[in-house]
Amino acid sequence: MKRRRFLDWLIRISGTVLGGFVLYPVVRYLVPPRIPEAASRRVVAAKVDELAPDSYKIFPFGGNPGILIRTEDGEYRALSATCTHLDCTVQYRDDENVIWCACHDGKYSLDGKNISGPPPRPLEPYAVHVQGDEIVVEKTKA
Amino acid sequence: MATVHGLHGRLRVPAGRRGAVVILAAALAGLLAAPPLPAATKNSCVDCHRELEPEMARPIAEFGRSIHAARGLECTACHGGDPTDEDITAMDPDKGFKGRPSRDEIAALCASCHADAAYMKRFNPKPYVFSIAEWKTSVHCKLESEGDKKVATCTGCHGVHDIRSPDDPTSRVYHRNVPETCAACHNPEYMKGRPGKADQYEQYVGSVHGIALLEKGDLSAPACNDCHGNHGAAPPGVRNVAHVCGTCHGRVAELFGASRMKAAMDEAGMPGCVTCHGNHDIQPPSDDWISTAEDGACGDCHEPGSTADRATQSIIAAFRDLDRSIVTTDSLLQRAEVLGMATEYGRGMLREASDQVITARATLHSFDEETITAVAADGQGLVDRARDAAEGALRDWRNRRVGMGVSVVVILLLIALLLAKIRSMERPATEH
Amino acid sequence: MLVRLRDWIWERLGLEPIVAIAGHKEVPLHRHTFWYYWGGMTLFLFGVQVATGILLLLYYRPSADEAYESVQFIMTQVSFGWLIRGIHSWSANLMVGAAMVHMFSAFMMKAYRRPREATWLSGMVLLALTLGFGFSGYLLPWNELAFFATKVGTDIAGALPGIGHFMLVFLRGGEQITGGTLTRFFGFHVAVLPAITTVLLGLHLYLVQRHGMSVPPSVEDTGGPRGAMKFVPGFLLRDAVGWLAALAVLALLAALFPWELGQKADPYAPAPAGIRPEWYFGWMFQTLRMLPAHVLFLEGELVGILGIGLAGLLWMVAPFLDSPDGRGGRARLWTTFGWLAIVYIIVFTLLMYRGGGGH
Repeated sequence: MKRRRFLDWLIRISGTVLGGFVLYPVVRYLVPPRIPEAASRRVVAAKVDELAPDSYKIFPFGGNPGILIRTEDGEYRALSATCTHLDCTVQYRDDENVIWCACHDGKYSLDGKNISGPPPRPLEPYAVHVQGDEIVVEKTKA
Repeated sequence: MATVHGLHGRLRVPAGRRGAVVILAAALAGLLAAPPLPAATKNSCVDCHRELEPEMARPIAEFGRSIHAARGLECTACHGGDPTDEDITAMDPDKGFKGRPSRDEIAALCASCHADAAYMKRFNPKPYVFSIAEWKTSVHCKLESEGDKKVATCTGCHGVHDIRSPDDPTSRVYHRNVPETCAACHNPEYMKGRPGKADQYEQYVGSVHGIALLEKGDLSAPACNDCHGNHGAAPPGVRNVAHVCGTCHGRVAELFGASRMKAAMDEAGMPGCVTCHGNHDIQPPSDDWISTAEDGACGDCHEPGSTADRATQSIIAAFRDLDRSIVTTDSLLQRAEVLGMATEYGRGMLREASDQVITARATLHSFDEETITAVAADGQGLVDRARDAAEGALRDWRNRRVGMGVSVVVILLLIALLLAKIRSMERPATEH
Repeated sequence: MLVRLRDWIWERLGLEPIVAIAGHKEVPLHRHTFWYYWGGMTLFLFGVQVATGILLLLYYRPSADEAYESVQFIMTQVSFGWLIRGIHSWSANLMVGAAMVHMFSAFMMKAYRRPREATWLSGMVLLALTLGFGFSGYLLPWNELAFFATKVGTDIAGALPGIGHFMLVFLRGGEQITGGTLTRFFGFHVAVLPAITTVLLGLHLYLVQRHGMSVPPSVEDTGGPRGAMKFVPGFLLRDAVGWLAALAVLALLAALFPWELGQKADPYAPAPAGIRPEWYFGWMFQTLRMLPAHVLFLEGELVGILGIGLAGLLWMVAPFLDSPDGRGGRARLWTTFGWLAIVYIIVFTLLMYRGGGGH
């Protein structure tokens, strides 16, 4: 009799433990992840005070680099950072206020237009939104 | 029959009343057959030459396609004469007819318009104005003034009657067609007997620039004129090579220009970039060049065992380590990806590291060991972060297996307990 | 307090009749009792599919632009997303396997004899629905393998005489496989098929309770079952053991053989080498592959499709063609037919994996 009750008790305990093992992942799963959706269209590129004016940052965006520039007057610009010539990663030059590719001296305006050197096409521009203390970059509908 | 010298050259024309009908009919047929000319202009050059044998008629067709015709110029612009005269007297020197210019007259003839800024502005507000001064700096001009009969003049590159704008892809001087145009003369056969090599075109076609321009269609790649100039065609001076290459390879030229290497090369009269990279047959560079050994580029001046040699060794070591660690980290990341783990951050870091590889190779041209190895070290830092991310992903994956293992154990335990329960329930009643 | 809650619910739901039935339900004990568990196993795995499927629905996006990325998101960003997805993919395969074991064991035990013909028929439809679930679900991650497997599968549907082209266009939502196909398959997978399945499953379960468990003729002829086990608690506890074992297997599979993401589908890329459907369509695929291009005056593929279709139809109407009591020469013929089918399917499934020839 006692053995039976003990067995039942053991079954209840291990059943509960198993229940926990099943429920725990499900509950964690239901809680949305930090990034609410895949970063292929929309990503948080930086925090609001992260960039000083007239500086830039390269951030990952859907597997490719993007460039976030804070201009001298504090505005944000975001574009694809893959040079349209031979795929090098571009950078921002604060001495000339242009986007520059070190590989073959290609230059782009802050709108992404290819203004000098080999690049055959402009850089794809992205939309920038300030949400709270985050700078959110989003691909424009294409 | 009467023979008439006139518009159609020597023709046998039927005479008499019957002849008049025939002539009338022929004239009507001729009028109907001939293409309509603008009513006001009468161009006897075109009308006459069109009827001649192919060699004389060809310029008419060619000229029709040219930019000169498009701008409203006529034969007389270069050849003079009187296009309103239907007779052979149109070609009277007294009427300004110049005939076919001789070779040494061509440059002056073309320059008479093209070097005249006011004239050129009539056709284009921002004209290209030919510079005689520039032309005089060219090897072509120098040789021609010495009486060389085979050297290029305007028509040699631009064509004669079918000259088109350089922007026109069918033009002989369109960017992509330039190498072939230059090679019309600069080939071993034509240049036989002249000093110097004549294999530049062959070399260029197999080079990085040649492949980029001619095979990949990258119009930003240089053709002959980008390094040698157009009308001032000449090889760049030894000290100026870096400036020439630097028009595109700006960063590298900047670094090289500030380096001790440039100063040393200038002193020794060595041609800068060309020393290691060649001029026409430029191939993708290899790390093997960075050594004083046989196949290295440094050995020509630097002795094995010297400071420079030691520098090359430490640089090579830094580059090789960086390359190798990128490869191993890439395969680590791949492994994580195949297992379904997130690798975006790691991939991003690895990509930046690969950018650093390019920067490191560019920084090589500062020829300063410290700077170069510092850039390589930055790259190494990025690779390390990527590798950490990859290893973290693989670790997570292993943890998952542990977690699953534990849950399987719990399940097995529960199964055992249930089996025991079943047994105990179905045992004969006396036992409990 | 819990007891009072239970009593309150009890009084209102009026579950006494169900409890009574459950209490009376018995399972015959004989040498083939083992096969009785497989229906419940299929049901359990279906339950797993519904649960994990609903969870996946919270993050999945059924459009060509976002499907692959959303699955990638589930696998890499969502907590335990890899586990839910892995279990869903593996359990789908286990469920088809369990359904086939259930069907074959029912066939070989001649459980379709009167009065259980409707149970058999509803079961066959449920199997078709299960395969439909598998086929429609397979496309949803929108990766290369899935895309081309779907292409091949719908091409075969298109080869049916008469209705073929309509079937192809109906399935694909057009002539080609596009994002429209994905949305359509998603609709089938999460709404249409579940709705039909719910109805048929209800019918199937009701019929099983109504007619009780069938005893195979071979047992009846050798003295009958040695006894009966009460469904509650005996059989149910054993069911639970089986289900827990299945759960363990799923956990191991999800952890040791994680389901791959694959490459995102590119409709304009050429088909990769070695596309094949999932294993449960394998024997059909392999049969078609091994047929010559022409058989007499007909296209080989058409002969294959018609042949398989005919075999399936025969299989389905077995209750009406086999001898009514399951004995005699005709019964033995059908038993042999059953064994042949099982062997054929196993062999041809394996052949597909070995990469067996064909044009």
